[in-house]
Amino acid sequence: MNDDVRTLPKPYHDAIEHWQRHNFPDYPKLAEEWDRFFPKDEPFCLCAKIASDIPDEVEVGDRKGEPKALAPKELPEEAAQHLLTAIRAQASTEFGSIQQHQGTLARAQEPQDHAWALRVMAEELRHGYQMVHLLTSADWSPVTQTSAADMVEEILSMQTGSHVLAAFNLEYDSFLDNVVFAAFIDRVGKYQLTMQKISAYKPYAASMPPMLREEAFHLAAGVIPLRRWVEAAARGDGYITMAAIRKAIHKWFGRGLEMFGDERGGQTNVKYGLKDLANREAQDMYVAELERMLDDLNERYVRSRFPQVSREEADRRFARVKEGETVDGVRPDDLLQLPDRRFFRRRGEPAYQMVGAHGETFTDVEPYIAHVLANLPEAYRASIDVKHWADLQRKVARGEMPLKEAINSMPRLARVGGSCPCAKSVRWVMESAAK
Amino acid sequence: MADVRIRPMNELDIEGICRVDEKITGRYRPEVWERRIAYYIRRDPDSSQVAESDGRVVGFMLGEVRGGEFGLEEPTGWVEFFGVDPGAREKGIGRRLIEALLGHFRAKGAHVARTMVAAQDKDIAAFIAAMGFAPAPVTALEKRL
Repeated sequence: MNDDVRTLPKPYHDAIEHWQRHNFPDYPKLAEEWDRFFPKDEPFCLCAKIASDIPDEVEVGDRKGEPKALAPKELPEEAAQHLLTAIRAQASTEFGSIQQHQGTLARAQEPQDHAWALRVMAEELRHGYQMVHLLTSADWSPVTQTSAADMVEEILSMQTGSHVLAAFNLEYDSFLDNVVFAAFIDRVGKYQLTMQKISAYKPYAASMPPMLREEAFHLAAGVIPLRRWVEAAARGDGYITMAAIRKAIHKWFGRGLEMFGDERGGQTNVKYGLKDLANREAQDMYVAELERMLDDLNERYVRSRFPQVSREEADRRFARVKEGETVDGVRPDDLLQLPDRRFFRRRGEPAYQMVGAHGETFTDVEPYIAHVLANLPEAYRASIDVKHWADLQRKVARGEMPLKEAINSMPRLARVGGSCPCAKSVRWVMESAAK
Repeated sequence: MADVRIRPMNELDIEGICRVDEKITGRYRPEVWERRIAYYIRRDPDSSQVAESDGRVVGFMLGEVRGGEFGLEEPTGWVEFFGVDPGAREKGIGRRLIEALLGHFRAKGAHVARTMVAAQDKDIAAFIAAMGFAPAPVTALEKRL
């Protein structure tokens, strides 16, 4: 069950290390903190890890039972196109999340939270490295004219605002975002990796188990600080309130849902054996898991509000509050809850429908925008992202922009083929790698 | 009781494990379990196991494969923390948990599993013995400080 460890050819390895120096300058601190916070763990390795115990035959879809592809050319052309798009998007998310985390990493209040976030970032760097390995260790020419070097160049040139998925284009406002992101957005990552574990392209399937093992810790790095924060909030001595956490959830939840793709789609991936669940099915499981997470956090909150009562009595009180009753000063609104799935949506089936956090519908756009703004973190409300959404929401509601155009609109134009900031003429991947 | 499912532990099991521990020890110790569970998830999330019935954790067993401790160089599967809800005992949950854990240890290349039991924990000692564990040729020693 040991993984095979691979290193990228030097130009690509160097490009990623170069990218790290610009985008993840705190990376060297990981080595300083490792012995204190992860004393018995294997040292971090910037490498690709390939699982060895992967089935040889396609597990789902039209080609079930046939040998898995070992090269892109062995897949149907459309399947290879889908796969390449998925790998590039995933690579973008891995590098993108590091850029987001880096912005507020230093604001962690606890040394342990800092060390955990640092490790999460390093492992995301490794996951990005893994995706680059997939792009550069196979011949993708049957489905793209773009060379491997140019694909890597494009990915490394992306910044917060020009990534493929919206969740990776939002700036963090505080360390609360580092933690909520890990609990909500990394959880989508877990679902994607789990679905892709059965991929009909064996090198991709074999990349998933090592990433999934690391992702498990990323989720803990989100949930455990949240548990401590709700407990502190219940005691009244926390710096982070339940209301602040709730607003952060409102910021991220819709973007997480949209990472699954349009609710009505995903069957093609199943047909080609690239994933084992269609989009809505996976999204439903994700939402159920988030509800369980919030139940756990709320239970801890209620338990801390009533430290003198027994577990059974705390359970009874929690059940009553959850049912809508105010119990000894604890109101239903004090608890964390998911907004309606249609709230603040920009892609997918409910895109730009005017549905509020509790499922209420709006007929006029300005009250709806005011409602959304009131439910988002204050710092985020001032962002270009929110302004862009509000502008589009108005245009869609007034019939000034087709829905499809609004769905495809991003707050900033993608900057493709950008150069390394330390010398404008230098590419991340040196030219020799293109051969 | 509904069907019991054994599966790898994850970060959403913390409160459930605290609940089982509280029923056994009478103490609510979330910080203790957060620390322990983070450790095992970080190191090998497929190793530690929970028993789940009707969506609730009714048992857990935490452990991992390590080598080189106490001069025992061979990879060893260490069974370190476990508990079963008192209301769910006598249903074979402990046996199923340890079988899942030992299965994982074998898959990770361990040929031996080890644990330690306090002398006064006669029930635990009986359970461990029933699972095929025998006294090992090592001695647990201590010195009060």
